[in-house]
Amino acid sequence: MLRKMDNSTRAPATRRTASSLSSLEPIDASPFKRPSSGLFIWFTIVLTWLISLLPWRLWQPAPDLLLLVIAFWCLNEPQRVSMVTAFIFGLLMDVHDSTLLGGHALVYTLAAYGAVALQPRLRHFNSVIQAIHMLPVFVLADSIGRLLYAWTAGEWAGWQWLWSPVFMAVLWPLVDILLHMPQRRLDDGDAGAV
Amino acid sequence: MQETGTIRLFKRGPTAELRLFVLALLAVALLVVDGRWSVLQPARQALSVALYPFQRLMLAPRDAVEHFNDWKDAASLARSEKEALQRQRIELAQISTHAAQLATENEQLRRLLRVADEVTQPSVAVEVLYEPPNAFSHHLIFNKGSSSGIKPGMPLIDEGGIVGQIVRVTPFTSEAALLTDDKVSIPVQVLRNGLRLIAFGGNVSGKVEVRYLTANVDLVPGDTLITSGIGGLFPAGLSVATVDSVARDPATGFALAEATPLSHPERHRHFLVLLVDVSTQDLHQEGLSHVAQDGQ
Repeated sequence: MLRKMDNSTRAPATRRTASSLSSLEPIDASPFKRPSSGLFIWFTIVLTWLISLLPWRLWQPAPDLLLLVIAFWCLNEPQRVSMVTAFIFGLLMDVHDSTLLGGHALVYTLAAYGAVALQPRLRHFNSVIQAIHMLPVFVLADSIGRLLYAWTAGEWAGWQWLWSPVFMAVLWPLVDILLHMPQRRLDDGDAGAV
Repeated sequence: MQETGTIRLFKRGPTAELRLFVLALLAVALLVVDGRWSVLQPARQALSVALYPFQRLMLAPRDAVEHFNDWKDAASLARSEKEALQRQRIELAQISTHAAQLATENEQLRRLLRVADEVTQPSVAVEVLYEPPNAFSHHLIFNKGSSSGIKPGMPLIDEGGIVGQIVRVTPFTSEAALLTDDKVSIPVQVLRNGLRLIAFGGNVSGKVEVRYLTANVDLVPGDTLITSGIGGLFPAGLSVATVDSVARDPATGFALAEATPLSHPERHRHFLVLLVDVSTQDLHQEGLSHVAQDGQ
């Protein structure tokens, strides 16, 4: 609410000064400061969750898109998406996969913590650097989950799953482009107006 | 207005580390509790019921495509099926006469021996909803649950014979462990000579193993295994598997047979759950909840 008001009051001000002082303004002053809308964030999370209910995850190296999106929002919007969100969606995946309750929840929470912990450092970097930083987070979270899984099942599932975090890191820049799309369009509109 | 607009210098609420600690501890506690006891079953059922509409929603396009394909191929399918059925009818004609003759004879003998008649088993047809992504176990989730009278422990069959056993039930879905799951065991009998054995889900995927055989056991490749009815859960006389090979180990003095299941859980979508009476099998259910959890 507060943030929205900030935006609305700032927008006319910048437009007024744009004519005279546009040359002095840094080119990239505002684009990434503007928060994504809460509705959009939840829409993307729920959509990826619904997609995760489909059987494509039977393939073991498949990237966990839900985890990827939740980690992405944890990094970019830590005020709205937190570890609790990750935990709850993890539980839902546990029930869907009919595995032990808490397995996915733990992995999701760990990855979300990684994103939250790296947030102050990574916020200002581009998506490729973010992806490189998030790769070890995903690998670590996933391997802790796999270790617990192996402990409860008494069997080791092989190494194929290691591809999953790699795919997730590779997809990170793409997710960055897609999930920041509404903002980018706004920025373009502003640029055209000026 | 000014008060609400003040900048927060310090983060409110617990730190990220504390949250991580609490949530991770909760997750591990859930893992341990769910692995050892079945107290979390109601919570899982509630979540599962909440999930069900979303699962159906997401699988609706697939179901629609399958429905459309069925409809499109209906004519050719009906034709080929008709031919197959005609051929089968000719083949079965003489067998059925023979069977009818045997049935009357059997009835007469039963009356003479005062053996109670076999009751026909009530059953529920179920359809595969999805297959959970799981590296270790072979499970399937079906679209009917306790609201249709399904209970853990009930056998699952198709036209080939036993497919598996229901291990977990929610109001609208049920989960079955397949015959080939290494936690399932079925009391069987060799059709040829009536030898009683126990078949286990194999280490080799898609196979069933018969273990603990004496080295001189009368079992040869090609033998058919049927349920013996011992244990009370699986009705007697359902076909289970055909024996592929018998490996005799002279060192231990025991033999191990490998068999291929006669049912085909990977081919069809529809199966039948036999509504046997499992209410008195408390001990067995205890074991089954282990199957449901260990299989992960």
